[in-house]
Amino acid sequence: MDEGQVLELVRGKLDEIKVENAASATMDTTWEELDVDSLDLVELVQSLEDEYGVRIEDEKLKEVKTVGDAVRLVIAEAGAAA
Amino acid sequence: MSAGVVITGRGVVSSIGEGADAFVDALMERRSGIVDGAGRAEAFDPEVTMTPKEARRSDRFSQFALAAADQAVAEAGLPDGVEPERLGVLMGTGVGGLETLEREVRNFIERGDRAVSPLFVPMMMPNAAAAHIAMRYDAHGPGFSIASACATGGHAIGEAVRMIVRGEADVVIAGGTEAPMTDICLAAFRRMGALSREGVSRPFDARRDGFVMGEGAGVLILEAEEHARARGVHVRARVVGYGASNDAFHITAPDEDGRGATQAMRAAISDAGAAPDDVGYLNAHGTSTPFNDRIEALAAHNVFGEAPPPISSTKSAIGHLLGAAGAVEAVATVGALERGLLPPTLNYEEPDPECDVDCVPDGPRESPGLELALSNSFGFGGQNACVAFARA
Repeated sequence: MDEGQVLELVRGKLDEIKVENAASATMDTTWEELDVDSLDLVELVQSLEDEYGVRIEDEKLKEVKTVGDAVRLVIAEAGAAA
Repeated sequence: MSAGVVITGRGVVSSIGEGADAFVDALMERRSGIVDGAGRAEAFDPEVTMTPKEARRSDRFSQFALAAADQAVAEAGLPDGVEPERLGVLMGTGVGGLETLEREVRNFIERGDRAVSPLFVPMMMPNAAAAHIAMRYDAHGPGFSIASACATGGHAIGEAVRMIVRGEADVVIAGGTEAPMTDICLAAFRRMGALSREGVSRPFDARRDGFVMGEGAGVLILEAEEHARARGVHVRARVVGYGASNDAFHITAPDEDGRGATQAMRAAISDAGAAPDDVGYLNAHGTSTPFNDRIEALAAHNVFGEAPPPISSTKSAIGHLLGAAGAVEAVATVGALERGLLPPTLNYEEPDPECDVDCVPDGPRESPGLELALSNSFGFGGQNACVAFARA
């Protein structure tokens, strides 16, 4: 699992929850720039958990400020679970 | 009612059309929106008024409300021209976000608590519709939802008028909205014996066997008369009286003597400073259930004596919109006053001796001198509202 693959998946999940400009999100894009709020973030994490069979604790989301933070968190959690 | 409150905007989502004029036209053309035993708003597209993300984060009942509010606000030339702090929202619903509730309960049972959407509460909560409207139009005045089952729309309009009379707002976006076409909701009303087995809404007819479910929303812009005059906006009608009462009798059945319904109508007429003889038209609650129509006819005789005014039921065309019914029917009543034309009751053929009323089966019927009209809304729980409207 590399960052590029996970990023592509995150873009897809953001698009599913109708976040505008999801396709143009990069690792450095912030939630603020995408108008993603705390409810969107929980939905995103829910679908990433389902996709990768990981569990991301709610307190870890506080540190997730950018798309890249989410991508790296998923990779770390998936690695820990493997 | 001491201060003048007028109607400066209207909005409707229904099975016979979106937009107040299209809706009233359809009523007067005797069109029915009931297909296969339900009055669905088939043509409704939430993304006409909402972004894809807004639509996705709103239950269907909120989508209806925002669409109807959008029409009403545009007609009234708002929100420019009103101070945000003086703009209120009172948007009722009988059952709230059932579609969301049903989906998320299923998720919870099948896949556990982490499968429950974070949008569950904000989508399901009955005040969500009022909140979306307030956010859209920067309405910082009083805002909330109101619930009295099938009387919700009437109570919302009446209480919004009082908000203006009390001086708490200059303009209130008020009405009711409902999206009750879910499997469990239909099953529940069927199990109560409230739905028509035949799938036909025929209020006051001897063959009536229950109501037909409908969906949609109705919104009125209620405005202090002086405020409307200062803005120079067209006034469509006036709200001149409101009466509310409780049957305090049974959780679903109406009081056998029509006590609560009678009291609500008398209170609305009295609040309007009028006499029963002044009322030229009554838009009935008229659900097409055996109970309601018999008791409503009885109550009309209690209030008006031997010869009540013409009484027609909008539910014959669009079904029962539960918490939205009173609001959509208010738009129908305003349409009757504006056009001097009484909308018909559809599907009425066999008179019922226990419903001895003129339900305008031949309508639309010309009524050029119509000055004062009532709209009844009665809810499960025995909660009743009656609103009196007058020609502008």
